[in-house]
Amino acid sequence: MSEVVLSIADLEKMYVGGVHAVRGVSFDVNQGESVAIIGSSGSGKSTVLRCINRLIEPTAGVVKLGGEQINTPYADVNDIRSRIGMVFQSFELFAHLRVLENITLGLRKVRGMSVEDANEIAHQVLGRVDMLDRIHAYPGNLSGGQMQRVAIARALAMKPEVILFDEPTSALDPELIGSVLQTIRGLADEGMTMVIVTHEINFARDVADRIIYMDEGLVVEEGPSSIIQNPKTERMQKFLSSINEEH
Amino acid sequence: MNKRTNRIFSWSEVPTSSRMIIISSAIIFIFLTPILGEGYESSWSIADSGIESDLLTATADSDGIVWVFGEGGIILNSPDMQTWESSESPTTSDLWTSDSNDNIVVAAGSAGTVVLKSAESNTWTSYTTPTATDLLGVAITGEGVVVAVGENGAIWILENGNWLDRTFGLSIDFNDVDFEGERGLIAADEGRIFGSEDGGLNWEERNTPEGLTDSTIISIDYYLANRGYAITSEGQILKSTQEGLTTAVGYNWLLVEIESEDRNTTLQRQISSMEVLGTTKFIVAGPSGYVALSKDGGNIINPQLLPVPNDFSINDIAMRDAFQGVIIGEEGTILWTENAGEDLAVGFEIIDLSQFNEFVDFSKDNLWQGLKATVKIVGFGILLGFFIGVTLAMCKTAPTTLKQIIEGNLGRALYFFWVFIPVYSIGGKVLGNLSSGLFFALIITLISWLVSRKYDNRVIAEAFAENRQSSGYQIPEKYRINLIRTLGVSILVGLPFSEFAMRGGIVKFWQSISDFRSLDLTGIEYIFAPVGDPDAFFNFLLGIALIYLGILFITFKGQFKKHEFSYGFKLNPWGIRPLASIATLYTDFFRNTPLIVQFMFVHFGLQIGKHIQGAGTDLFTELYLLSGGADLFIEYGLYAADAPTIISKTHEFIFSDRAFLSAIFALGLNSGAYQCETIRGAIAAIPSGQMEAGRSIGLTYMGTMNQVVLPQAIRICIPPLGNEMVNLVLNSSLAMVIAYTELTRQGKLIIAITFQIFWTWGMVMVSYFVVTWTLALILRWLEDKTRIPGLGISGGA
Repeated sequence: MSEVVLSIADLEKMYVGGVHAVRGVSFDVNQGESVAIIGSSGSGKSTVLRCINRLIEPTAGVVKLGGEQINTPYADVNDIRSRIGMVFQSFELFAHLRVLENITLGLRKVRGMSVEDANEIAHQVLGRVDMLDRIHAYPGNLSGGQMQRVAIARALAMKPEVILFDEPTSALDPELIGSVLQTIRGLADEGMTMVIVTHEINFARDVADRIIYMDEGLVVEEGPSSIIQNPKTERMQKFLSSINEEH
Repeated sequence: MNKRTNRIFSWSEVPTSSRMIIISSAIIFIFLTPILGEGYESSWSIADSGIESDLLTATADSDGIVWVFGEGGIILNSPDMQTWESSESPTTSDLWTSDSNDNIVVAAGSAGTVVLKSAESNTWTSYTTPTATDLLGVAITGEGVVVAVGENGAIWILENGNWLDRTFGLSIDFNDVDFEGERGLIAADEGRIFGSEDGGLNWEERNTPEGLTDSTIISIDYYLANRGYAITSEGQILKSTQEGLTTAVGYNWLLVEIESEDRNTTLQRQISSMEVLGTTKFIVAGPSGYVALSKDGGNIINPQLLPVPNDFSINDIAMRDAFQGVIIGEEGTILWTENAGEDLAVGFEIIDLSQFNEFVDFSKDNLWQGLKATVKIVGFGILLGFFIGVTLAMCKTAPTTLKQIIEGNLGRALYFFWVFIPVYSIGGKVLGNLSSGLFFALIITLISWLVSRKYDNRVIAEAFAENRQSSGYQIPEKYRINLIRTLGVSILVGLPFSEFAMRGGIVKFWQSISDFRSLDLTGIEYIFAPVGDPDAFFNFLLGIALIYLGILFITFKGQFKKHEFSYGFKLNPWGIRPLASIATLYTDFFRNTPLIVQFMFVHFGLQIGKHIQGAGTDLFTELYLLSGGADLFIEYGLYAADAPTIISKTHEFIFSDRAFLSAIFALGLNSGAYQCETIRGAIAAIPSGQMEAGRSIGLTYMGTMNQVVLPQAIRICIPPLGNEMVNLVLNSSLAMVIAYTELTRQGKLIIAITFQIFWTWGMVMVSYFVVTWTLALILRWLEDKTRIPGLGISGGA
């Protein structure tokens, strides 16, 4: 049994407006494991993801990273976030900074590294996502796929214990998706611990060690990637068939 | 490839149009610079005498020819005072004195020598007195007779080539002689003057003031028959006037009290010569390069500038008329003038203000001063306004609801209320003043922070490892509710410890109400209560805030959530954002009152300028004193010796003018309110994902704000900020109401002097245009320079 990196127990989130987005979600993520969370829009999967690094404060429940509870008022939230990488649906690269500076900002300002050291790490991670040739470009001059790969590199640079992907390919044109998925698959092969919220069922099946299907704020079905072929619950069957109709 | 470098400015990247603009602005500024050079210069010019010998005496004949005599019997003459020619001299004796009339020119000197030339003749004839006494004065009577006086009381009359000795037995030296018709005067040693009524045959002593016995009268002169002047070698001026019908000029002499010398009776200068030019006008000259003119009979004597060194020895003055004349002196020097030597004013012209060029010449200095003053307040105002704007915008956009503040800072809040404030208050009371109490409280805070920091790092790690939560300020969950409720009570009540009492919210509120009531206003008048008692108003607001907080804390049930009432009415008391409320109060106040009133309120009402000037002067005085001993500034590249100068210069630049300080504050505070909204809009335009992304790599809220959000927001709001800055420049004209001499006020001053209204306001407008247009261009350039591809819709690029 490998070590549990991320552990979520009875997570609940009630938004201020009264929407009960997450109604008690629990799962563990082991070292080197990649977990895909699938589900229809509004099922609470993005909320779960954001609760993990406390971009959204959970209303109740326990989130543990490396065994430490991180959703207490006393935990250093900035330190925690620097240990959890996050990749956003809409990339969220810092538009006023060049690719290199995007990567090194956190290293310099959070880790307090010198510019030289930070640049060295940035070159390594940009090499991993195959973006070394656009190192001085502004994000505005990159294609969507390139931007997402830079965003992945930005998360990697902080040497996170786990990376959260929030629908990394939803904002991309189909022909650009490939390169991003390639990169994520590469990370999975290298043994990076990942939680991926995605609509790409096929990708989830290929990459994820485990699939979590969420609906209406609850984990409906959980299991190895093979559950996509044989969904046990009716709701997941419905969901998968609606997806297949679209494609 | 993207080869853009990080250079801040590169001329080659500036578009041609911008270059033109930069160059033309620079030219305008250069031409606005005042051309200085006003002053005085001497109206004496040096003439070329052609010789090196000392020149000793000069006289101008009735044809306007000036004759100069010198050592070794030199004789020079000039018809125009500029070109000199030498005459053949019949003597080698030094010639010390000279005179002329319509017919003859005469000079006299050492060993009884007299040289003489008649108007018809070109040759000089030499005579020598029988006793060969040195002759010190010579004059021609109305009859054309030459009278010479000299050492040991010698008086000789030369008539038709024959000498007549009229010496009457005095052994003092006679230094000068002058005749007006048959009346003659002799200036003598011991302050004595002798007169003759018969062409020099008989002499008698005249009345001179007492106390001149040590003085030597060296020169005496009639002006026609109605004034006589004499001067001593020590610079005392004697004057004689006609008195009634009986006593003619020359009988009674008085010392002139010299107003320009502090009412002394002496010039306190060595004098060698005097020349009377009119009834009240005369020139005196002395050996130490001293030439002075009086135009009012000696009351005011104006020394003149000379184009020769100060130690130049002047021996004589000779005037052709009241304006043209020469000074002669050592080593063949001749200076000539055409306006009695009066200093020429250079640059001071009589200005014809109806001529535009002269008007511009006259008013440009004022405009330039005004422009500088405007730029000064605008510069500081923009900085202050921007600082306030950014701060307020961040306050307004910050996620600082009460819930977040209390949740994140419960430990600190408890520490603040239960440790800091009591220590501050009690310490202050015990130690005698509040600032030592504050100091004490800060020290304790620092110690506890250091301790908890050390404690935290070690214990947090263990606590995490053991999956429990306790360290530092951490308060166990079960005590939290009770602690918060107690805090609520304490906020409402305060510290009721007799002399160490601190008033809580209820007390403050109640007291402010009673303070308001004691203002004794009626009805609607109460809207002015904040002005009537600002302290009470502050306590009123603070009281309300504290009561709100207190009630909230007391009713705390462990959940920071909304209260739901019947009929679907909801209240979210924890959603209040104190920082945003304060910022909103600020912007509402400054945006809903006129700037001109704010100017007057800030300057005359609050007297901000005065207070800051006082504080600044105190600080700089301390610095100044410190800088004398300690090498405070060396690490900043300043030497200790320069520090006092730099300190006093800086102090003068910033703190010398109260209106300046007030104007900066009025402008900055006002502009800050508007800039706040602009910047807030720009911050709101940045996608929230940027904040999430920044936070997700571990940056703090402020870190993300500074590193990610603001750099993008400021870029977005450069155009509206430019608007605001141009507005600020234009609004700065209102500083004239607090007597700050910026451009508009200078315009009013110029009109007060010149009455040229159209031109003045036109030029003021042009000046403003230059400033704002330059500013707008700089901002346009900045916008261009900082544009990031893909950020916002920018119309290309």
